[in-house]
This record gives sequence, structure tokens and C-alpha cells, in this order.
Amino acid sequence: MATDEKKKSDDDMPDFSDVKSGASSTAPAAEVFEMYEIKPGDSLSKIAKRVYGHGNEWPKIFEANKDLIQDPNKIFPGQKIKIPAKS
Amino acid sequence: MRKLPLLLSLLVLASPACKKNEPPPPPPPPPTTTTLPPAPSLSSVTLGNAIGDDKQVKDPLLVFGVKDTIYASVQTAGTGHVKLRALWSFVKGEKTAKVDETTIEFESSGPNTNEFHVSKPSGWPKGDYKVEIFLGDAEVPATTKTFKVG
Repeated sequence: MATDEKKKSDDDMPDFSDVKSGASSTAPAAEVFEMYEIKPGDSLSKIAKRVYGHGNEWPKIFEANKDLIQDPNKIFPGQKIKIPAKS
Repeated sequence: MRKLPLLLSLLVLASPACKKNEPPPPPPPPPTTTTLPPAPSLSSVTLGNAIGDDKQVKDPLLVFGVKDTIYASVQTAGTGHVKLRALWSFVKGEKTAKVDETTIEFESSGPNTNEFHVSKPSGWPKGDYKVEIFLGDAEVPATTKTFKVG
């Protein structure tokens, strides 16, 4: 019952999945990114397709997370990675 | 009276000795103070629906239209590595829904103006919102601004 109530309550909240965002700075060479938590079934190419519209842009995500990801084929649910802003 | 020349001679001999007194030691140099450059800090956040080339909000607003792009202009100061995170949320009573989260990082050598923006092509739901600005990896926002759509 409590779970049903929570679901109903969550469903009351609006959908913000189509929100577009960005940032910039007067500082030179500012790096803009979003944080993303990897979910089961994700791959860098799937994330790149979702974010940039093209799966072949996955190296951009890999390059931004080399301190965390050693092998682009080995990412794990729960890892929080940087998603560089669209250029 | 015969002792007077002897006394004068002694005085003459003694006077150069007085001049050989050691000069007073020079004053110690002022203490050297190491002034560290000021750490990065956040000075102000302004909301609006348009910014200029200088990243500053033209007309500050706290109520926005459903089709507005919402900008948060954030002034920072200090030197060193700066990490700013903007967390935008929709607020409904006690509940919040995450709208967006964007981070910007840069090396600062002085004051900077930074802007975060969000838009929703399908239109913003009317209601209460907030944007929290975090500095560094802090879990507590450096500042929070609330605003409305509607």
C-alpha cells in the first residue's frame, strides 16, 4: 500500500526528461559536463547515442573519464561518470 | 698645574676610542608574511531569462514564463581550481524532482562570471523551483535561489 502511494506520488511529479541545459564561463578553457550514473545495460555508445545522437561519439565520454574507466567495454552500474557537454 | 697637559693628552687619546663604539645593530628585517592567494569563492547568483556576452543577467527575475530559458549567473572570485555544480529542482510541497544538474570546472586567476541555463521545449510546468549552487565537492550548497514558473 505504501509502495503504491509512493508510486502514485512520484507519478504526480512532472516529467523533465526533455530539459535542455548548458553552462559557460568567462574563464578560459572552462569544462562543462553533466554527471551520469551508469545503469544496468548501459554502454558508452548507448549513452553517447542518447546524449549526442550518435553512438560513435563514445570516445568523447571515455576521454573525459579515463581516471575512472580503464577499458571502455567495462563500465559498471553505479559508476558516476562525466558527460561532456555537446560541442 | 703640571698635571693639566697630561690630563689633556689622556682625553685626546681617549676620544678616538670612544668613536670606535660598535654602531647599533640594524633593525631586524620586517617579518616575511606568506600571503596565500584567496581560495575560490562564490559571491553572487542572479536569475533571469537572458544574459549578455559578459554572462551577466540583464534583468533579474524570480518569476518566469513557461517557455523561458532560465539562466543563473554566478560570480566567482579567488584563484585555483574551481568546480561549480548547479542542481535545478522542481518543488512540490515536501517533495522535489530533479530537473537538471550541470557542472563546470576551470582554473581561476581572478573574478569570473559563469552561467548555467535550462530550457524545456514542451514548456515548464507551473510551480515552484530552486537552483542550488555547489562549490567544489561540497554536499551542502553554497547558495540556493528559489523561483516560480507561471
